[in-house]
Amino acid sequence: MCSTRAVTELQATTHTIEFPYTRTLGPVIGPFLTGLRDGRILGIRCRDRVLVPPQEYDPETGDALEPPLVEVGPAGTVETWAWVSEPTRKHPLDRPFAFALVKLDGADTAMVHAVDAGSIDAMRTGMRVTPRWRAERKGRIDDIECFVPEGGAA
Amino acid sequence: MASSLKDVAIIGYAQARNERQAQQTEVQFLFPVINEALEMSKIPRREIGFTCAGSCDYLSGQTFAFVMNLEAVGAWPPITESHVEMDGAWALYEAWVRLQHEDIDTALVFGSGKSSPGVPAEIYPLQTDPYTLTPLGVDPVSFAALQARALLDAGKVTERQMAEIAARSRRDAMKNPYAQVTGEFDVDELLAQPYVTAPLRKHDLPPISDGACAVVLATADKAREVCERPAWIRGIDHRIEAHQPGLRDLTVSTSTRLAAEGAGVGDRPVEVAELSATFTHQEPILREALGLGDDVAVNPSGGALAANPVMAVGLARIAEAAKQIVEGGRSRTLGHATSGMCLQQNLVCVLEGDS
Amino acid sequence: MTAAKSDTAVTGDEPVTMMEYFMSLTYTDVVSPPVVRFREALMEGRLIAQQCPKCHLVYVPPKGYCPIDTIELDERNEIQLADRGVVTNYTIVTPVQYYGQKETEPFVRASILLDPPGGMLILQDILDIPTDEVRAGMRVEAVWAKPGERNVDEVGNRSGSALEGSLRGFRPTGEPDVPADSFSDKVW
Repeated sequence: MCSTRAVTELQATTHTIEFPYTRTLGPVIGPFLTGLRDGRILGIRCRDRVLVPPQEYDPETGDALEPPLVEVGPAGTVETWAWVSEPTRKHPLDRPFAFALVKLDGADTAMVHAVDAGSIDAMRTGMRVTPRWRAERKGRIDDIECFVPEGGAA
Repeated sequence: MASSLKDVAIIGYAQARNERQAQQTEVQFLFPVINEALEMSKIPRREIGFTCAGSCDYLSGQTFAFVMNLEAVGAWPPITESHVEMDGAWALYEAWVRLQHEDIDTALVFGSGKSSPGVPAEIYPLQTDPYTLTPLGVDPVSFAALQARALLDAGKVTERQMAEIAARSRRDAMKNPYAQVTGEFDVDELLAQPYVTAPLRKHDLPPISDGACAVVLATADKAREVCERPAWIRGIDHRIEAHQPGLRDLTVSTSTRLAAEGAGVGDRPVEVAELSATFTHQEPILREALGLGDDVAVNPSGGALAANPVMAVGLARIAEAAKQIVEGGRSRTLGHATSGMCLQQNLVCVLEGDS
Repeated sequence: MTAAKSDTAVTGDEPVTMMEYFMSLTYTDVVSPPVVRFREALMEGRLIAQQCPKCHLVYVPPKGYCPIDTIELDERNEIQLADRGVVTNYTIVTPVQYYGQKETEPFVRASILLDPPGGMLILQDILDIPTDEVRAGMRVEAVWAKPGERNVDEVGNRSGSALEGSLRGFRPTGEPDVPADSFSDKVW
């Protein structure tokens, strides 16, 4: 029987691409993620600064940077933030939260992470935050589940 | 630029009508765009010396999708071609470099992409640092919002100014037959809308677009032979910054400033600038980096806020800047393209018409 | 209040040297106009294609243009294809059990040159015959799913997309083999 489908009705196909990646970490990222597993945030010395997250090369000269890494934080200051009203399934939290650039104490550069502040009204540039660690850690950036306002909600 | 470089001009261009969701495949809607650009250039297809394309297989969701795109070029008999996993603006840069050799005098450049099939918020995190950023799923709007907040905190823009940029762009886009989001929007009504990812509201964001753009380049003798008013590439340069946003000052675009210096933007006044400011707050950052005064018309096409065909949007800015010269009688314009989050990488192309 | 280090720090002895990441992206493709018609025909147990009026090449599935002559094709260029032909080329795939692999036994993927007006179907399954008896030159005919059991849900724009929901594969007809030199320019 012939189709009498309307011309304007759109048909669609769906496909999913999936890859399981296993990445080696090397002499800088390895110790950084090992530190996270151990409940510590580490940076790397780069001339007169401490870079967090640690870089493998000096971003200005290209020189290789090497361990040992230096501990920073755990508390830090929010340098800028964005309030995510509708988290995607790839985001670290499933309720509204902030992404922020957090400059940890002792670091000269800020790292990106989530801040679970509860509401946009609790966020402001310059606020102090501390990490909420996962109970079980694997050596991943999300061993820190997120940051939270220092001393509890504002 | 050194005077030993060969003069190259844009002599043909075409764009697809940008759509939220094209029913045609990328190759199908690229097909007439390439035909139109070639027709305008008056260069027979078989005479094109080099072809270069910009596209992204992760956007298409298929390995070697960029190879399929060559069916729109007509690659038989075999052609000399190249591809960049970048916006077509970088394909134009490669073609410009290739034309510096003596053996060919024309090149076809195109960029294309369908953003509608995938979920951009899930695709782009995969292009970020796999150890520190990808696992957090930080999406382009969140990155842009971090930059916008920094700019607001620095007092370099207001939310009202951002809304005015959105309204102006979509109003200007009403004259652009390729634009997707057009119309008269009231700034106060825009500001009354809720944030999507604060401080960005929907009007601060680019649309999701399917589209394509093609450009034909020619060296001096060939350009003069076929084109009444070529748009000469007087300068072209691109620079990239560090990847980690924490290593950068997000309130300025150092790479755009350096690319502008390399391309000689400041040598003479620019009349029109087509900028790939994908988010409203990026326009003042780029204006400052390029040294553009208030007298410069920015994005008369509506820019990326009116249509954002990823992989073609930067090339389309250069095509629009060329159009201002070829058809609009302007003397000096510029096109800008960007890549990466928060204006990490930037390309500046300065165009001039014969006086 | 000073921020304390995590109370439950789990310090392992071994340094972390690897990181796993599972990436998953889903795409929803709107079926393009020529493929809409191709799907409709499949549901009716027919194979259609577009033929270029200049070079006469046959494109199946139809793609809306001829890449050789760079002209657009549409319904006016549509032709009905035969659903029998000859195996021009084939491979026997021994499945490696990587993530996402569904097959466990060796399977055949063959290219079929269809009888006039022509057209080539690739990546077809050859049914009703042991894999080691498949050969180039073998005459085959289409095995269609029963009319009420057909679906074209997997038939999309991407080349080589799966037709098995309606066209299950091809099986030998029993006719004599065709000599290779009659199709050596259409092997794919």
